[in-house]
Amino acid sequence: MRTGPDSVGPLPPAGVVSSPPEDRRPTTSSSTPWLVLLLWLVAGGMIGRSPLRADLWDDVRSRGVLRWGDDAEGGAPYLFHPEDDPTKLVGFEVDFAAALATRLEIRDQFVQNNWDMLLPALRQGGSFDIVIAGLERTPENLAKADLSRPYFVFAQQLVVRAADTGIRSLDDLRGRPVGVLSATASHRLLERRGTVEIRVYQDNVNYFRDLEVGRLDAVLTDTPIAQVNLAGNEKLRAAGPPFEPGYYAVAVPPGETNLLARIDQAILGLTTNGTLQQIYTRYGLWGAEQEGLRKWTAPAQVIRRQRSALREWKTYLPMLLRAAVTTVWVTCGGMTLAVIWGLALAIVKQYGPAPLRWSATAYIEVFRGTPLLLQIYFIYFGLAQQLGLKLSAGLAAVLALGLNYAATEAENYRAGLLAVPRGQMEAALALGMKRRVALRRVLLPQALRISLPSVTNDFIAMFKDSSIVSVIALVELTKEYQIRAIDTGDYLGLGLLTAGIYFAMSWTASLGARRLERFLQHDHR
Amino acid sequence: MITVEKLSKAYGDHRVLDAVDHRQERSESVVLIGPSGCGKSTFLRCLNQLETPDAGRVTIDDVTVDCARPVERELQRQLRLRAGMVFQQFHLFPHRTALENILEGPMHVLGRPRSEVEPEALDLLARVGLSDRAGHRPSQLSGGQQQRVAIARALAMKPRALLLDEPTSALDPELREEVRDVLRRLADEGMTMLLVTHDLQLARDVADRILFFHGGHIVESGTPDEVLDHPQHPRTQEFLGQ
Ligand SMILES: Nc1ncnc2c1ncn2[C@@H]1O[C@H](COP(=O)(O)OP(=O)(O)O)[C@@H](O)[C@H]1O
Ligand SMILES: [Mg+2]
Repeated sequence: MRTGPDSVGPLPPAGVVSSPPEDRRPTTSSSTPWLVLLLWLVAGGMIGRSPLRADLWDDVRSRGVLRWGDDAEGGAPYLFHPEDDPTKLVGFEVDFAAALATRLEIRDQFVQNNWDMLLPALRQGGSFDIVIAGLERTPENLAKADLSRPYFVFAQQLVVRAADTGIRSLDDLRGRPVGVLSATASHRLLERRGTVEIRVYQDNVNYFRDLEVGRLDAVLTDTPIAQVNLAGNEKLRAAGPPFEPGYYAVAVPPGETNLLARIDQAILGLTTNGTLQQIYTRYGLWGAEQEGLRKWTAPAQVIRRQRSALREWKTYLPMLLRAAVTTVWVTCGGMTLAVIWGLALAIVKQYGPAPLRWSATAYIEVFRGTPLLLQIYFIYFGLAQQLGLKLSAGLAAVLALGLNYAATEAENYRAGLLAVPRGQMEAALALGMKRRVALRRVLLPQALRISLPSVTNDFIAMFKDSSIVSVIALVELTKEYQIRAIDTGDYLGLGLLTAGIYFAMSWTASLGARRLERFLQHDHR
Repeated sequence: MITVEKLSKAYGDHRVLDAVDHRQERSESVVLIGPSGCGKSTFLRCLNQLETPDAGRVTIDDVTVDCARPVERELQRQLRLRAGMVFQQFHLFPHRTALENILEGPMHVLGRPRSEVEPEALDLLARVGLSDRAGHRPSQLSGGQQQRVAIARALAMKPRALLLDEPTSALDPELREEVRDVLRRLADEGMTMLLVTHDLQLARDVADRILFFHGGHIVESGTPDEVLDHPQHPRTQEFLGQ
């Protein structure tokens, strides 16, 4: 549903962020999903629930505190830091949680957790008892946790640029780019329809920005998000009425029937006594559709058990492989740029005239000394906002990876140039070569051979580093893994599939690199 | 052919060349001897501007360079085109075959087409006795073979003079003879050579004149017979005595 509205950049969950550029040198094929897997196992081992415990509701009652998990980067109107006092946390979910706890005659306590990882953390137990985070009451979510009766009715809202008066519904957007939040009802709806070009985002701010600058033609999102973001924004408008209503529900750990029953009862009470209406009115969210809360009855549920990606590999492997194609071309594109631009930088830094030399040095230091993530944001969002330079996500990704790695490659080449014996340059000059010719005919062929192992190492490292480009709505392998893992809850099985694909890619690259090295070495002898 | 006037070079306080004068006629081969570290290599390298002298003038054939002022790159290059250089450590291009090493200069410095240069290069390889090694890389050749390729590489540029810095010193004694042989023939053919060596056998074989270098000066000069067998200067006597 939502994360990170006003943070500098929404980060993927801690375990999935690829390592910063400084320590990307290690060349083992450990792909990021392994890290997730490891964290998952460690977390499971350390804070796994005790089998002797009576029942979660007993715990909560004796503690006198109901701990609810959510992501404080969630944003208005769910929970947010008001502009006039950033130390406070407000929002309709904050008020709802308080009302819920009061109804249960205990206190409530907010626990911060990354949005993507809320349900896995809930299942692990230990840090919070329930999740109140705009979770949709969908079969996918029911497979991962037990869900209460609804506390809010939302619907899908299509948002377009105010100037695009022709667009009324999704049918008017065939083949055009539409932004959605990763792993949400909106995302699944677009996937089911399959008629538009889906662009997946990690937060609910950047897709509105991209819509304004024209990278997207529409955004499909939940009504509360649309409402907040359209208020006072003249550039955007709602296209057509809300559709496909759904419910937000409270999640409790699977099997905690007692706690679930208490919470259901409490929500029903808050619904009938008008408390929910009061809260939602305060945030401008109350509407006729919320009558659905009162009338709601639990449907006969076909609860899909947690799915196994390994057993259903025929479904999931092609999805992951399609995403791997993106990883491959972003990496190959980025590396091609890095190899060429890096060479230019190395030559200028080593042999150029003073002002150019300083510029090359400055470039290398800046690009090596700042996070790749920051550079991606700068290139994708910064350039579009400040200069009107709207690069596509793919181009921005290739540029960011290429410009960043060029700095590293430049240093690799320089090391190679410095490793060529001095006598080579002297022999070339003694033959009457100009410096430029000596460089091209004598020094570079030898230097490139020397730096080849470092360059191929970086190529393999970039396969893993490329996962960072998912922050600009590019679904590559790690992002696809994240989306599917959140969908199925099968972090382990999907992780193994994904890691397998990463391994296959790096292994192929290493094999190719080794062959190239051997070929050139043979050539050398 | 080669004229050196008041050539000076210092590294910090250490005056390696102290106003050295030297004249050498066409087809004359001159051998420079002297103790290690006395500045022989520096002298050769200053002649073709691999080292920048502090002062003095160098003339090779029709090109004169005044070293007191900054020297233009193109003038440097013209000087180098007239003086081929052979190094103690060969410095062949390791990524190219013997033949390609020889073709490199004519094709990529002089811009001559391969079809024209290749017969010449093969002829040079034959002259240094390496016709069967044309496709070998330097790492597949012995030291003596490498040095002969290096000599052929220098000759391919048709230089007016050849500067050789201890061409046999890096070689095992049994491999020296093949290089001496090549150099003897070059001297006989009238190549103008300035040769630095510790190899007295070689010096005797090729030198028209021998110079003894010491303390930044040429302290003795004469025929091989005069300098090697009847040295006048005490430092020369000391050097040859050991
Ligand atoms: N680049 C340099 N910097 C400082 N001193 C040097 C350099 N090159 C040579 N020298 C010094 O100059 C002197 C002459 O060196 P060189 O010409 O190589 O002697 P030779 O070839 O006669 O053995 C030596 O004392 C050496 O240490
Ligand atoms: Mg020397």
